[in-house]
Amino acid sequence: MEPVLLRARGVPDSRSIATYLAAGGYEGWKKALGMGPDAVTKEVLDSELRGRGGAGFPTGRKWSFVPKDHPGPRYLVCNADESEPGTFKDREIIEYDPHQVVEGVAIASFAIKANTAYIYIRGEFVRWARILEDAIAEARQRGFLGKNVMGSGFDLDVWVHRGAGAYICGEETALLESIEGKRGFPRLKPPFPAVVGVFGQPTVINNVETLACVPHIIVRGAAWFASIGRPKNTGPKLFCVSGHVNRPGVFELPLGVTFREIIEEHAGGVRGGRQLKAFFPGGSSAPILTAAEVDTMADFDACAAAGTMLGSGGIIVFDDTVDMVDVADNVAHFYAHESCGQCTPCREGSDWCMDILDRIVAGHGRPADPDTLLRICRFSSAGMTICPLGDAFALPISSIVNKYRSEFERRIASATPLPQKKQPVLPWAGPCPGFGI
Amino acid sequence: MPKLTIDGHEVEVAAGTNLIEAARAAGVAIPYFCYHPYLTVVGQCRICMVEIAGQPRLALGCATPAADGMVVKVETSERAREAREAVMEFLLANHPLDCPVCDQAGECLLQDHSMREQGSEFATHMTETRRTFPGYERRLIGPHVVQNQNRCIHCSRCIRFTREISGTAALTYKSRGNSTFIDTFDGSAFDDPMSACAADVCPVGALTVREFRFRKRSWKLLSTPSVCPGCSIGCNIFIDHHERVVYRFTPRENPAINATWLCDHGRFLAEPLNEQAYLDPQHRTGGQTIRVGWGEALAGIAAELKDASGLRVVASANLSNEELFLARELFGRHLKGEIAVPVAPGEPRKMRNGKGEWLHATDPHANSAGARRLGLDLVDGEGLSRFLYGGAGLTLILDPGAHPFLASPEALQLLRVGTTVVWARREHPAAHAATWLLPTPSLAGNEGTFTSSAGAVQRFAQAFAAPGTVHRTATGAMSPSCPTIAVPWGPPGEARPLWLTLAALARELGVPPLDLASPADVFALMARKDKAFAGLAWETLGGLQQDESFRERQHVG
Repeated sequence: MEPVLLRARGVPDSRSIATYLAAGGYEGWKKALGMGPDAVTKEVLDSELRGRGGAGFPTGRKWSFVPKDHPGPRYLVCNADESEPGTFKDREIIEYDPHQVVEGVAIASFAIKANTAYIYIRGEFVRWARILEDAIAEARQRGFLGKNVMGSGFDLDVWVHRGAGAYICGEETALLESIEGKRGFPRLKPPFPAVVGVFGQPTVINNVETLACVPHIIVRGAAWFASIGRPKNTGPKLFCVSGHVNRPGVFELPLGVTFREIIEEHAGGVRGGRQLKAFFPGGSSAPILTAAEVDTMADFDACAAAGTMLGSGGIIVFDDTVDMVDVADNVAHFYAHESCGQCTPCREGSDWCMDILDRIVAGHGRPADPDTLLRICRFSSAGMTICPLGDAFALPISSIVNKYRSEFERRIASATPLPQKKQPVLPWAGPCPGFGI
Repeated sequence: MPKLTIDGHEVEVAAGTNLIEAARAAGVAIPYFCYHPYLTVVGQCRICMVEIAGQPRLALGCATPAADGMVVKVETSERAREAREAVMEFLLANHPLDCPVCDQAGECLLQDHSMREQGSEFATHMTETRRTFPGYERRLIGPHVVQNQNRCIHCSRCIRFTREISGTAALTYKSRGNSTFIDTFDGSAFDDPMSACAADVCPVGALTVREFRFRKRSWKLLSTPSVCPGCSIGCNIFIDHHERVVYRFTPRENPAINATWLCDHGRFLAEPLNEQAYLDPQHRTGGQTIRVGWGEALAGIAAELKDASGLRVVASANLSNEELFLARELFGRHLKGEIAVPVAPGEPRKMRNGKGEWLHATDPHANSAGARRLGLDLVDGEGLSRFLYGGAGLTLILDPGAHPFLASPEALQLLRVGTTVVWARREHPAAHAATWLLPTPSLAGNEGTFTSSAGAVQRFAQAFAAPGTVHRTATGAMSPSCPTIAVPWGPPGEARPLWLTLAALARELGVPPLDLASPADVFALMARKDKAFAGLAWETLGGLQQDESFRERQHVG
């Protein structure tokens, strides 16, 4: 497949607006301004573009949820808080082609009639926040942003907002709270952000990769976009492959390619000729897949059918040297650290899972532990929590316990009891004379 | 008006009502910890999960509005029951389970729900070390609130209270995830003017009120509906008492005035109610003070009233409508005396009602509006001084606490000139200048109505009769350390409410229309005779009308 989103990778001086314009940049923005908001939304709807942030919700439908007759301002938010373990695709887009994102932001803002857009970028991405700010300044200088864009009468301001290092702020409503200057706590839905979003106004939140697709859809048409991939799972997708492969990196491939092709052909296969044992198909919050499931197609619907999710497209590969109990423990540590602490099951459950897994890893597992883990996971997911962070730790851990239970049982079989804490010796220790009746 | 079915009970509720309130109307209890009817809904605790027919996932009782035709299962849903059990397990896994030494026991939502739904066969595999917050187990975060972070269930009620009600935004979460804890925003003292309400809304023992901690087990307390005497706003309260000792005030729900809140100023007026300096009527003649019985005292005072060359009555804006009315009728109309109601300037107070509006007051008296309605003469300090300088053979002081001027040397000199009758409860210099001293009980021993500054006539009930002296240890604690004193209170005294003595005086003086048997009778007469109170009926008076239907105490505790 010819590269679309990563076409600038390897081009000299790819970040400058001159290079971007030479490659046909901002043509989509010009065309969109001529089409009008409704036609732009319809084009994106027809392309069947689905959100690349993880949930895979149709982008055009998301845009159409913004109330048409809302009297106040609306906002577009670009989610660049890329914090899912194993995911580094947005950084790649911003690194090589930031104007692609800016143009996507502009077209999406126009489609929902938002005059202000925020790009929320994770705090650790200092370099990439600067790249975006430079790109926005260039675009503003050329008249692609600002007051009365290209004489169309449409005003657009784009701001880069840096996060402060919390994974939870990648969740869309926590992100909105963070933009408002509040603690990153996810909001209760409904109301959905499309109705009550940032500063109480209708807001659309799209991932960087989603917005980067938008200029291409406008320039080359919905039919072209829909011709890539499979029906309902259209377009190019960036897959981030990390872990035990020979050639880790970001690969742009059409949706519907198999994980076997991604891992074996594009990422150069498992390191040192070892056997594939398991992989996370879409970041560490997706249920794990075993080597036997490597022929699953990498798209939203096929992953859902396999009981997992495509998520962000962050594929983490484990070879046969890996102990899955350690994987579960590692995952539990991350989510226990990143749980926001707002609602009960996730706050208590993530930490509890971590404690149990730590104990098993330390060699003090108990026979009841796998079932306890499954029980915790069951009641931390599927609507028990405010936001999907509950599912994010519960689903991978329960999938690891279910699929690799024998490894847990092997560890537990050779476990030693937890050394008892020394009880304080009381002066009257011994049978109490008063109750010896 | 959506009509829905909850556990088989059909109920019709106002549009926008959530399932917790709808279920309450249907007689089904959906448990909750973080939900509070006067705070925003956050859906954090997840205990209110219910099953709604046709919905694949469980729904939150607090965040789901009732819809027409909805079929909700609470107790009858196995899925919802499992989910609630799991949430309890999550919460209790890290809870210290120190109910025996926790002051919230008895009014703890976590304990209540555990008792109600967790069977004895409930067992957990939680064997890890409990989460603790060293250094935060017994921390005074403000002048009135003690924090024990180990008990916190992270419901955020206290945080929302300071943000949405008191408006100081003093409390916040710090840290993240499992180590989240409650602290004041900038680490300074939690000196919110309504700080104790944060402990009220705390569903567990994480925040407790310093003044009440370890004074009395909550299940021993009796709650008598009353009205706060702290200012003219007239917040509705319960007087929590046990065996003639008042332990605390707690807010009583009234959406029009104080929702479920109470300011610290009003709340901590509870303790002074236990002061009962005078237990018997006293007569002072020839420099000698003798204890007398009520019969002798009333006859003596009636004789003085009949012979008096002139009568001055210093009433008070702290008295009930009934007492002011009786004083006006008896001393003003029948005996042609002069009556003045002194009012003192006060600190500004404010309270937020159920709609979120602030009510303001600078009047420190509970009933100056009532005195004004009855057409009595309200005077300030200067007016009171002129009134006392006016000179008369007999001066009656119905409440020495009416105005600070009454304790001044100037006033005492004036009172010593003629004959003075003083009704008093607390130690007061005017009482020493009195010829006749009559003991009155506190608010807790009286019954009647107050008129709030907004015009609401509200009843307060009698908590107990015949208060005695409350014994104290050197530290001021009420439970005596001396093992020979089994109880903190002394023998019952002879204090009688003012309305009762006024009615008795009316009998002595031969004014039978005022010889009434209860405040209700006085009120009925007042409603007949005075157009300011026309049309009001004792039984339906605001403040007590919710006696039956007020939502259970767990809203505030």
